[in-house]
Amino acid sequence: MDYTKQIQEIVAKLFAEDKIDVFAGYRMTGFDENQVPVLIQSSGEVSRLVFNDKSVFNLCNYLKYDHTRNKRVGLVVKGCDSRSLNLLLTEGQVKRERLYIVGIACDGVVDEQGNKMQNCEECMFPDALVYDELLGTQHPEGKYKVNSDIKELASKGLVERRAYFEEIFESCIRCNACRHSCPLCYCTKCCIDQETSKLYNGANNTSSAFHALMTWSLHLAGRCVDCRNCEKACPSHLPLHLLHKWNERVIYENFQEHLSGVKEGDRGAFYKYSLQDPDDFIM
Amino acid sequence: MEAVANNQLVSIEKPEIVAPPNWEPVIIGILCNWCSYAGSDLTGTSRIQYPPNIRIIRVPCSSRVDPWFLIKSLQTTADGVLVSGCHPGDCHYITGNYFARRRFLVTKKLLSFVGFHEDRVQFSWVSAAEGPKFAKVVAKVTEDIKKLGPLHLYKKENFDK
Amino acid sequence: MARVGVFVCFCGANIADFVDVNQVVEEVKRIKEVKFATNYKYMCSDPGQQQIRDAIIQYRLTSVVVAACSPRMHEKTFRKALFDAGMNPYLLEIANIREHSSWVHQKDKKAATEKAIDLVRMAVAKSIANEQLHEISVPVTKRALVIGGGIAGIQAALDIADARIPVVLVEKSPSIGGKMAQLDETFPTLDCSQCILTPKMVDVASHPYIELIPYAEVLELEGFVGNYKAKIKKKASYVNFKTCTGCGACWQKCPVKVPNEYNMGIDKRKAIYTPFPQAVPNKPVIDAEHCNMLTKGKCGICAKVCEKGSIDYKMQDEIIEREIGAVVVATGYSLWDPKPYEEYGVGRFKDIITSLEFERMVSANGPTGGVPIRPSDGQVPKNVVFIKCIGSRDEAKGIEYCSKICCMYTTKHTILLHHKVPGSHSYVFYMDIRAAGKGYEEFVKKAQVDTAATYLRGRVSKIYKKGDKLIVRGEDAQIGQVVEVVADLVVLATAVIPNKDNPDLARLLGVSYDKYGYMSEAHPKLRPVETAKAGIFLAGCTQAPKDIPDTVAQASACAAKVCGLFSGDTMKKDPMISSVNNEFCSGCQNCVKVCPYGAIVTEEIPMSRGSKEMRTVAKINEGVCQGCGSCVAVCRSMAISLAGFSDPQIINEIVSI
Repeated sequence: MDYTKQIQEIVAKLFAEDKIDVFAGYRMTGFDENQVPVLIQSSGEVSRLVFNDKSVFNLCNYLKYDHTRNKRVGLVVKGCDSRSLNLLLTEGQVKRERLYIVGIACDGVVDEQGNKMQNCEECMFPDALVYDELLGTQHPEGKYKVNSDIKELASKGLVERRAYFEEIFESCIRCNACRHSCPLCYCTKCCIDQETSKLYNGANNTSSAFHALMTWSLHLAGRCVDCRNCEKACPSHLPLHLLHKWNERVIYENFQEHLSGVKEGDRGAFYKYSLQDPDDFIM
Repeated sequence: MEAVANNQLVSIEKPEIVAPPNWEPVIIGILCNWCSYAGSDLTGTSRIQYPPNIRIIRVPCSSRVDPWFLIKSLQTTADGVLVSGCHPGDCHYITGNYFARRRFLVTKKLLSFVGFHEDRVQFSWVSAAEGPKFAKVVAKVTEDIKKLGPLHLYKKENFDK
Repeated sequence: MARVGVFVCFCGANIADFVDVNQVVEEVKRIKEVKFATNYKYMCSDPGQQQIRDAIIQYRLTSVVVAACSPRMHEKTFRKALFDAGMNPYLLEIANIREHSSWVHQKDKKAATEKAIDLVRMAVAKSIANEQLHEISVPVTKRALVIGGGIAGIQAALDIADARIPVVLVEKSPSIGGKMAQLDETFPTLDCSQCILTPKMVDVASHPYIELIPYAEVLELEGFVGNYKAKIKKKASYVNFKTCTGCGACWQKCPVKVPNEYNMGIDKRKAIYTPFPQAVPNKPVIDAEHCNMLTKGKCGICAKVCEKGSIDYKMQDEIIEREIGAVVVATGYSLWDPKPYEEYGVGRFKDIITSLEFERMVSANGPTGGVPIRPSDGQVPKNVVFIKCIGSRDEAKGIEYCSKICCMYTTKHTILLHHKVPGSHSYVFYMDIRAAGKGYEEFVKKAQVDTAATYLRGRVSKIYKKGDKLIVRGEDAQIGQVVEVVADLVVLATAVIPNKDNPDLARLLGVSYDKYGYMSEAHPKLRPVETAKAGIFLAGCTQAPKDIPDTVAQASACAAKVCGLFSGDTMKKDPMISSVNNEFCSGCQNCVKVCPYGAIVTEEIPMSRGSKEMRTVAKINEGVCQGCGSCVAVCRSMAISLAGFSDPQIINEIVSI
């Protein structure tokens, strides 16, 4: 999967036709074989753009920052990225007419070791769901699979799970990189930083990490699209996807197979309800 | 392990945590104003007795209950939480409890996934007429949580202002 | 620094016998914010309240906690005590140590006391985060909009107008009157429908407080309770109502004939027409779909014969706006089309008609002069089979619910047939006879005796033709046998269904509707005429099937609600509602989706002060918000706060135990 040439051509044309102000894509780091996101401002920079199976990051994250606000933005989205884009559109964070979306029919991306990412192995929507232009050949829609990690963890005992997660909460350094890297964490002021939260949070400790991570994952429950930006950003290498994939599973299995961001206009699972929702857990 | 042998209560999730003698769990009950709070009042006026572990917080509607109230409760003072609202279809605010129901399920499952027994957070629908039911629900929740042992999640001192 | 006063009540012996009230006072005195704590036999008594008032002043209290009975009991009493001492009444918190402690832990004084202390501690902690709140007053436009001019709309409009409140009555057809105007006689008294309805119709037209807008539809409704703005489309009638005298020359001369809706298509009307002789207003309109002049540009006869020159072929639809404070929705119902009953030969056999068609035939002003006839040959039928529950209570082909009125009107039809056709006989196939209502059972009983009609309990399985007769085959469950009845005419009691456009109208008004399309009341028992949207009320069959007495009762109830709403120049509202902090709102609008009242709208505000770039934020409409807090719990950035139950208040309670 290498669409470097096509993307460069498209972007050059977009700048030439004055259709965009900035373009969000990927470039090589320059010091190793990995890629980082790049926001280019002019056609002169087009040659820096690349796209292949190492183009991992979800570029929709750019859309929440000031340097794209009120600009005409072009960007590349894979299947998972396009789902977060759908949510951003639905939640009124970006305007469709300001975007030029280069969709990718994605064959899956790889991690730093060159292994296919786990979320790509389990991906249901590899092709961009919203785009102006689609590159690559489309894949059939996948079937929902329960994430293997959570399956394994869920089969363990309560004591083990508690110990496992306590270790995670203890390892969290509360740097908030997960939040900053998440395209859906666009709040003007995060609840975790607010007075009400701070007051009873104490400092950087296990307890505050418990509060922060639990709240964060519940705010993303029914919205997370499994792009794993958070996990890549985490300096402590916490397996953050566990929380999200677990919520995704609970929501999928209980709330009419809800999957987030599959189409524009479809909101997170907590902003709608069905009379068929499970009631048997309530006395 | 000696403590266990002496039949003392330990936390079901973290056996290192041992309950002090005569330990009683603290349970926070978050009740909607129109059904469950009224129901709990009726339990009182009917003089139906129930265990004294529950501490009641009044909210207008179960939909007011943000999941982080539950997280915060377990994190700070409570060994268990009960949230109660109007029966589906009877919500004073029409649809509040339907939205709440979704969040409750996900919160409960998430807490259980990260290692808190499912019964630490429980939910019920109690109408304003169900005074006896409220007493039964509280008795059950108290009994459940006594079995689970103390939570002592993270030391309370961390939260003192 | 907060200065809290705590007042613990004995409630006679109710609390003091089971909770050590002195210990409670001693314990809460240790809380550093508590500057004063005391207990008293009856806190709610005058001397009790006086202690609170005195302490507020003496100790300069910033909030007050009363540990007593349930807040549902005496919250108002103690709020008033605070108010009388010059303190904001919302700085009160109540610790419910009676219903939640002394009464439910009567065997364990120690535990009950501990719990009471905790409850007071929680209330103290909460009260520290309490804010001063002020009652909200919303201005009211004292004008009501009534949508639909059937008996429900007419009754509501008249009742409201009689209270000297201006009413705008919008009717979609050229005349008011609705379904009731099509009826002959009404059950259970058999008084003539026209005789009781038309005087009311005339009253509407002549009432100084009613603005009647016929041949019009509501296009838009914006705003909130007391402050709505309605956009109304007046459809082009091509007749200038101001100059038209209603002489009728135009429609007498009109060459185009169209099936007459008023008579269920049994006879014809003209392309320029008044729906029926007693129409109000009694002015004709041109049916643009069929008028030769409007479709082909040829004819113009009506314009020629009109002495007043009232015909205007160039008339356009007109949009008008009205400011109103409340809406009564009274759009009525439709009848179910029995086509799915193929085994009955519906559509194939001309002599199967619906009840409303039968009603028109037996009506004195009907197309057949009050005598039923067979559509196939015009003969007067002798044996008539009435089949009930056509579509009603039939999940497979129709709808699940009972249409409520069919049992009664079918009984009425057997009587009418008996009166109008000597020697006739009625057969009634029924599932049950549901005659609950004042005089209803007696009416049915008497009719059965007087008409000697044959009642057959069971469903009809098939209708087929034999010669010029229809053979109705069905089961008589009471004798357990299949019976066949030779019929001259078959009358189907078709189900009452909501109008097809009911859901559209509901959405336009912001009112919820059920799975059938009926608009939903706010509470099925206690708020049967209100909708969840404040200031919008439901009358008649727009909410559910009902008969005329129920409809009229509901319409008058709506009127009472409207009058109540308009009783002051402003509406007072509880201040415990949500508000948005614009600084934190990121405009995701998820709160808009969960608000059951449509109280949240969006607004555009500058990105930063003086900036030209705009961003979207949520805005709570104070007039509409009921304070449930749904929006607060879904607001991830905590931009929304619910006064009285704010996050700091609740978290304070949680952590203070």
